[in-house]
Amino acid sequence: MPRSKKQAFTVGWLYPDLMNIYGDRGNILTLLKRAEWRGFEAKLIELGRGTTQQMEEVDVFFFGGGQDREQALVYADLLEFKQPPLEQAVRNGAGVLAVCGGYQLLGHYYQTADGELFPGIAMIDVKTEAGKRRFIGDVVVDANIDTLNPKTLVGFENHSGRTFLGPKARPLGKTRLGSGNNGSDGMEGCLQGTVLGTYMHGSLLPKNPHLADYLIRSALIRRGVDELSPLDDSVELAAHERILQRAQHAQSR
Amino acid sequence: MLDRSGARSRALGVKDKKPIRKKSIRKTAAVLAGKATGALSRASGRGGGTTLPGDVARAIDPRVLSKLASDLTQGSVVITGTNGKTTTARLVTWLLEGAGYRVVSNRAGANLIFGATAAALNKAGPDGRLRADWGVFEIDEASLPKAVAEIQPKATLVLNLFRDQLDRYGELESIAKKIESALSALPDSSTAILNADDPRVAEIGLGLPKPPLWFGLDDIRVAMHDLPHAADARTCPKCGASLHFDAVYVGHDGVYECPNHDFARPTPNITATNIKLDGFERFSADIAKTHIEIPLGGLYNTYNVLAAFAAGRTLGLKPKYMAERLRNVEAAFGRQERMEFRGRHLNLVLSKNPAGFNETLRTAVDLAKGTNFLIGLNDRKADGTDVSWIWDVDFEQLKAKAKVVVPAGSRAHDMAVRLKYAGVPAEPPQAEPGRALDSLIKATNEGDTAHLLCTYTAMLDLRAELVRRGWAKPYWET
Ligand SMILES: [Zn+2]
Repeated sequence: MPRSKKQAFTVGWLYPDLMNIYGDRGNILTLLKRAEWRGFEAKLIELGRGTTQQMEEVDVFFFGGGQDREQALVYADLLEFKQPPLEQAVRNGAGVLAVCGGYQLLGHYYQTADGELFPGIAMIDVKTEAGKRRFIGDVVVDANIDTLNPKTLVGFENHSGRTFLGPKARPLGKTRLGSGNNGSDGMEGCLQGTVLGTYMHGSLLPKNPHLADYLIRSALIRRGVDELSPLDDSVELAAHERILQRAQHAQSR
Repeated sequence: MLDRSGARSRALGVKDKKPIRKKSIRKTAAVLAGKATGALSRASGRGGGTTLPGDVARAIDPRVLSKLASDLTQGSVVITGTNGKTTTARLVTWLLEGAGYRVVSNRAGANLIFGATAAALNKAGPDGRLRADWGVFEIDEASLPKAVAEIQPKATLVLNLFRDQLDRYGELESIAKKIESALSALPDSSTAILNADDPRVAEIGLGLPKPPLWFGLDDIRVAMHDLPHAADARTCPKCGASLHFDAVYVGHDGVYECPNHDFARPTPNITATNIKLDGFERFSADIAKTHIEIPLGGLYNTYNVLAAFAAGRTLGLKPKYMAERLRNVEAAFGRQERMEFRGRHLNLVLSKNPAGFNETLRTAVDLAKGTNFLIGLNDRKADGTDVSWIWDVDFEQLKAKAKVVVPAGSRAHDMAVRLKYAGVPAEPPQAEPGRALDSLIKATNEGDTAHLLCTYTAMLDLRAELVRRGWAKPYWET
């Protein structure tokens, strides 16, 4: 008797060796485990430089942050190899989570302090300019996603780029604590179609299991999955709650 | 051996015969004010007085450290790197003291320039003169250019460059640039002693005007064959290709080469071979054809001992003497401490970043066959306020091997999540040190060992609790 084949859930990690400075593995592990715990066959495809293998199979891409030296190496490869298949995959409904450097590279451009312009791949309607002061610290956001429960997202930011959203992108949420996109308009991250950009790491998804599920579900809709079975998230949400408490503490001071 | 009373009378003689020159008045005032601050802060019980005296003295005379360093009869050694600074500095001090030298060194993790100044103040006399032969200073990577310019060391040791506390220091690259500028400014009489196994350190060393002394491990049997997730310097500085590793020892330290052959690990001048590891207890190795046995455990300590040996050789110590002296290193060496409680053995090990944590886990799980753990994670400034790095540590190593794991520290809840996603069943998180200890002790049988792996201030918090309960001695008494 043939064994019933499990439904696949595939994560594509863009440049796992070069763009992983902020504990990004936490995001990957969270996506994979939460799919696995629900009976999916969770698969990870590492998309290093020069490869475009199996990009059409990916359900959720992850694109993290790197150091300047590594980011420069990634930049050339992104334009040469990854851009067309990535755009194709997103048109087909794949999701993208881009954090920090990855968030910036998916936008129109990054402008350095000297005015030099590095065009991004313009997948999202955002642009970034270098700022002087680095934004470092806890972030708490009231998310713009109706189905999220709880409504809050927590993370840690560490960036000097100031990102501004154009009309096609909407903010991921409103900052309750932290500087967010640019430190001036009170907004954090962006949502455009199935692409989610943010400055929050920490890692982001482990303490925001509801956001992880949102990404998994959004990507699996095209495969006919519209509901994910519930999991026991008490450990994750307790950690989430601790950050909320700290934030309240920080504000009341 | 030096005649200490002779040295003292010589120093006093200088003071009696020569009129105090104007430019040393400022130094003397700085030294006295600094020393008074140290005495006050110790008396008030607020701590060991490890950096504040340095602040005060430097405010009065910004060149006080440089002036004190030039009082040293032999010179100084400066030690930097992400991991192993304290252990290596203590080993070098141990080697020099055993040879009869008077050594001044900064301890208790006060490794900023203020700590080094405070340490020098401590050993200065009422005339403002430093009475010592050697200075051994552990210095934070970011303070290295300043420290080297002021201290003018005979030898500068760079142990490794790992990712650590991004929120505090910025990116690895900016730290590397600082080290590079410090080493480039060394005088010709000074030797840079560098880890050939660390690609980023090697890149710095290969660009120096004077060739450094390279050290490295040479024993494939203790190597891993894949880079751990924590590795972070694996591209070629010349062409950007991913480096190929034949062996990985700790973090990204190993034997590497660019596939385009334009960059490779420099051939070490001094190596450790025939390495035999025995948990946290001891290791043996052959260093420069000398057999070394030392009561320190873990491959990371092999690097520290090798570096200290290389420094000792540069400063003129004999290999045979060093082998003899290292055999009797005190157990409190290294950032590790053992204590007993009601028949349970507690093993505290500082584990502060992915490369360090992976190594202490590997030692605890594979070599020491540890089953009971407390993992302490704090996010104060000295630990790094960003705890993302725990996701780069391979806690998966504990899977199916650990029986008891207690997530502890101010970020115990984050650690609990990390363990859950590593597939490691854990006790409920305990942010309060006393409760964390109780939970660990309750689950640990008499006669068993529990490993307490902690970030810097999580370790201090636990120790304070252990001291309160009378299980451990206060730091400044050890
Ligand atoms: Zn190359």
